[in-house]
Amino acid sequence: MEAQFEAFCTTWFHPVLSRVFHPINTLLNPVYQPWATLVALVFFFGTMLWVCVILKESYVNLERPNNRWYTDLRLWTILSMLPHVFVYYYFR
Amino acid sequence: MQEIIGLHNIDIAIITTYMLGTLALGFFCTRYVGNAEDFFVSGKALPFWAIGFSIVVSDIGAMDFVAVAGATFRHGVSAANFDWMGSMPAMVFAAFVFVPYFWRTGVFTIPEFLGRRYNSAVQFLNAIIWAIVLFLSLSIMLWVTADKLMYTVLGWDAMWSLWLMAIVTGLYTFSGGLTAVVFTDVVQLIVMFVGGFGLLILSLWEVGGWSALREQVLAKGPEFQEHFTILLPHDTTGPFPWTGIVFGLGIVLAIAYMSGNQVIVQRTLGARTEWDAKGGMLVGGFLKSMIPLMVALPGLCALILVPQLPIEEADRAVPEMIRLLLPAGLRGLMFAALFAALMSSISGTLNSASTMFITDILGEMRSWIGKKPITERQALHLGRAFTAVLIILAGIFAKPIANRESIYVFMQTILSMFQGPTLAILLLGITWRRATRWGGLAGLTLGVTFCFILQYTPGLFTSDDPFLFVAWWSFVFSLIVTVVVSLLTAPESEEKLRGLTWGSVIQSNAAQKALQERNN
Repeated sequence: MEAQFEAFCTTWFHPVLSRVFHPINTLLNPVYQPWATLVALVFFFGTMLWVCVILKESYVNLERPNNRWYTDLRLWTILSMLPHVFVYYYFR
Repeated sequence: MQEIIGLHNIDIAIITTYMLGTLALGFFCTRYVGNAEDFFVSGKALPFWAIGFSIVVSDIGAMDFVAVAGATFRHGVSAANFDWMGSMPAMVFAAFVFVPYFWRTGVFTIPEFLGRRYNSAVQFLNAIIWAIVLFLSLSIMLWVTADKLMYTVLGWDAMWSLWLMAIVTGLYTFSGGLTAVVFTDVVQLIVMFVGGFGLLILSLWEVGGWSALREQVLAKGPEFQEHFTILLPHDTTGPFPWTGIVFGLGIVLAIAYMSGNQVIVQRTLGARTEWDAKGGMLVGGFLKSMIPLMVALPGLCALILVPQLPIEEADRAVPEMIRLLLPAGLRGLMFAALFAALMSSISGTLNSASTMFITDILGEMRSWIGKKPITERQALHLGRAFTAVLIILAGIFAKPIANRESIYVFMQTILSMFQGPTLAILLLGITWRRATRWGGLAGLTLGVTFCFILQYTPGLFTSDDPFLFVAWWSFVFSLIVTVVVSLLTAPESEEKLRGLTWGSVIQSNAAQKALQERNN
């Protein structure tokens, strides 16, 4: 059953889809380091910036139990993202 | 190499005490279950730390210890991307976009939201897809742990082990609902971390530390040069090219999983405040970033400590390390940690599947045939009955479903088949007022069809196992289909959309007040 479906897809869809995906592969194949690490780090820093700068503080910390610094979810976001920045920089 | 690990009396005593303790804690939580809201969303009383602990431990199964260590043994640290790139950014996104939204709209499940936003067909279809996935993952969890861990490693009978796990977990989920699930999860996380980090510390000690591990692995030959590289080139034939990791995993699979997976979302819906729901997600994300340290790094240590282990038997890396390194007592604790991981995943899946069955499948079917909605009391009884039936069925069908060559590929393929389309209609449903019921239905059905076509058309991508690309491109395809079909069909009425799109739910005080009244 699976083999028949694969043969069907190969016959009918491969000619069309390969025209879309093969040029994308050709374009991306030479793109590697340092771009891969940079994109990953931008992803992490972008997420931190979005929470800390773009979103309103009142929205991020709505129903906060008290106003002590350690209940600020912006700080929690940074603290929980930083290990990832280190990991993707270290294992580059 | 097939060697059975012997357990001493003290190990068996630790495992037995642990399982009985979990069962007792689960039963203790029964006193907090008075109605369906208590059973399904813990009476909306969960603190952030319990939510965070529970999210992590429900997500990590016993097979993660075995399979991720095996994948790291084979492919290197790139296998850990699923717990790093595949967790934190998506959990932050879920915490600040989806969680407040679901919290305020007062829905119990994701399909329920899709039903309100699009129509009951989308709700039913999405719930059926999730029900199939949850059932398959339940069966796989049970069989793989029983067969690959208990039978292969301990020499215990696989069927007996399977039913032991199913009965213990089924019993406390059946009685205590989400409260039992979450509070047993808290204990299980502690046991899991003690066992996992114990193994990591002993492994690193034995290898001679991190630098010695790195030097020795890299010195093993050219095929090990990428074992410390987390992002691999786009044209790699392995399953984790960097483009797939960033786009397929980081943007689609991870966000779809963290925002659309009932097992994860249900914990945040049980939070006592919106701050606890968001904070729980962030705590969960932080703890999840620790998981690769205890499930992946022992796989790298095994390259040095078990050099005779053939690459095709990589999944035996952790069992071999347990046999080599852990003394009596710690061995029992490690197995208790593995059972903890399994039981928490099973209980979480059971509770979420029963919530979805009652709300989105049975509830919808009754409304189609003109029957009255289910009462609170009926929902509680039916939820319990479904939990019992589901665990029994999963136990019966576990072997035929999961007894296949590559469980990992099978499960990832199933997940990648619908995560992209579901995320596309969920995102558009929340953020774009013009998305219509026909757009949503077309986006979901054609998107899933497109996934099958991509999956079964070989030679489109360089990776031999392109599920990350399937997820990304099916997401893009579903976005386009939903937008085009929506623009070609009549817009939804203002009345239907009130309190359902992000802007009105989050920013309009009038909409929030109306939602609160409706939810009460």
